[in-house]
Formats: sequence, C-alpha cells, structure tokens
Amino acid sequence: MEKTLYQIFKTFFKVGTLLLGGGYVILPLLQSELVEKRNWIDDNELCEYYALSQSIPGLIAANLSIFVGYKLRKIPGAIVAIIGIVLPAFVSIVIIARLMEEIIRLKFMQSIFWGVGIGVLILLFLAVKEMWKKSIVDKFTCWIFFITFILSAGFKAPPATIIILAIFIGIWIQYQKKIEGQE
Amino acid sequence: MIIYLKLFLEFFHIGLFSFGGGYATLPFLYHLADVQKWYTTKQLTDMIALSSITPGPLGVNVATFAGFKTAGILGALVSTGSVILPSFILVIIISKLLEQFKHNKYVRSVIYVLKPTGCGLLAAVGVDMFINSINLFGMLLLGGLFFASMTEKRDPLFYLGVSALVGLIAGFFNLTG
Repeated sequence: MEKTLYQIFKTFFKVGTLLLGGGYVILPLLQSELVEKRNWIDDNELCEYYALSQSIPGLIAANLSIFVGYKLRKIPGAIVAIIGIVLPAFVSIVIIARLMEEIIRLKFMQSIFWGVGIGVLILLFLAVKEMWKKSIVDKFTCWIFFITFILSAGFKAPPATIIILAIFIGIWIQYQKKIEGQE
Repeated sequence: MIIYLKLFLEFFHIGLFSFGGGYATLPFLYHLADVQKWYTTKQLTDMIALSSITPGPLGVNVATFAGFKTAGILGALVSTGSVILPSFILVIIISKLLEQFKHNKYVRSVIYVLKPTGCGLLAAVGVDMFINSINLFGMLLLGGLFFASMTEKRDPLFYLGVSALVGLIAGFFNLTG
C-alpha cells in the first residue's frame, strides 16, 4: 500500500483507536498494521525504534509513532502519525469527561476493565516474544535481558538508570573492540 | 491566558521528564493533583481505570482530561499538545542523527545493548501488571488466550475483544474480584 500522508494518518488513527489498556500495547498493534498488513517497515526496524522510544523521555507510544512516521515520510509523516495516534484518545476523553464518575460506577464497566486488563497481558507477552526474537541474538544480549528484568521487576530500579547503564555498556563494548583491534 | 501557560508548562514538564512510559507519568500526575487542583486524586485513579477502555496512552488521556476540566477544549488542546511536544522534538533530532550515523560502530553497539534492555523492561512491566491484576479466573482466561495465540497468529483486536466480552460475562457471576 502506498505511503501517502493520508494512508499514514488512517493507519495510525486505527492503531490509536485500538490502543486500549495503555500505550504499551502499541508494539503488537504496529506490528500487525505496519509490518504484516502493509509492509511499510520490517520487524527489526520496529524493534529498534521501540528500544529507542523507551530510551528517551516521553510517552512510549507517542515516541514510537513519531519515529515510524518520520521514517515513512519525514516530518509531515511524523506529524500525521502523532495526530492519528492522539486524536481518538483526545476525542473520547472530551466526550466522557463529564460522565466519568457515572461510567466508573457502572458495574459492567468494571468487568470490562478487568477483562481488557487480561487481554493487555497477552498482548504484552506477544510483544516481548517478538522483541526477544529480534534483540536476543547471543549469550551477551540474553544476559542483558535478564539483568534488566531483575533490576526493573525485582529491585524497582528506575528505567532511566537502567537505560543510561545500557548506553554506557554499549559504548564500552565498542571501545574494548577497538582497543583489541589495534593490538 | 495564564491558565493555558500553566497547562503548557506542567504537561511539557511531564513529557520531558517521564522515563519509561505510562507508569512513569503516574507520580507526576499524582503530584499535579496536589499542587494544581485541576483534578482530584480520586478522579485521577478513576481516570487510570477508565483509560484501560478509552483509546490512547494514559499520559495523553490524563493530559486531555485535566486540560478539558480546567479550560475546555482549548485547554485540552494545549495540555495534550504540550505532553507530546518534547517527544516530537527529541524523536526528530534523534531520527536525523540516526540517518547520519546509522553505520557508526558506537551507535550500532549502543542499539545492540538497548534492544535487549527494552525487551527486559517491557517484560518487567508485564510481570508487574500480571501480579497486580490476576486472580484465579483471570489465570484461566489468560491461559485460554495464550492457547489461542499458540495455534494461530491473530489480530490484537481479537484478544482485546474476547477478553472484554469474557470480563463482561464473568462480572455477572462475580468472578472478576
């Protein structure tokens, strides 16, 4: 499918509409819409952008949409992508803002929140699985995964600290290689 | 006029300093409830629950909500735009740098480490959510969805739709507590 600005907007609007249960679900949604259905980018690029989106401040879903939009059609692409992602959120909140307390109190709504929460878990699992395939390529990256996981889930280390550490490790590895190469 | 400026500053600040997505914005948002009175803590908690069935990232949902409550549609536009603006500037700068230094060995090496790090962080979010939200019936539903994902590749909408429906039914039998 052609990467016109309109098509980019439409695709991100669809993803924005399906973005339930928080921004984390954006990875499997973009995988399904952009990689599988439209072939606009490949899995590897998407994972790279996702890793970068987590490494900088800001909402991950917003960061990722801007990365992908820019990749597709530079700055205009980035603008329509982020508008597409945010618009459904914006409109739905404006509509329900006044009714929020009534909606929250409805028992069947609570049940739906609960169900969607479980659906989000499986989507997260699938996202991790897909990202694992693209990012754990050797023993070393496997160690990095488990150390990150333990620091974050076990010790509640702030993501920013972990990311800064990771960046230093990346630079250090390359520096070591360079030194060894010179010897 | 001053209210728009305040909305802009507060939400720009959140967009610039929240690291690690949705959960990371929560402390800022609770703090905001204390200092600015744009919404109450109770409203924020409701909003977090509600944002699981409204589209979009939690940060955007709360920004829109706070802006709308304090200054109507224009306020909502200002706060939502402000929470996104730092992302936009940063990502464009990084994208441009990446184009230039795509093959730089240091850049490759950093990305090589950042990818498994990102994967680990996402897994930690998943486990956290799992521990906080699961009960016995939830395990059954999750197991069923897991089985469904093994047999065939499905659209994300399938999982969200099925789980919302099962949640709705389970609610009638008081299985969601």
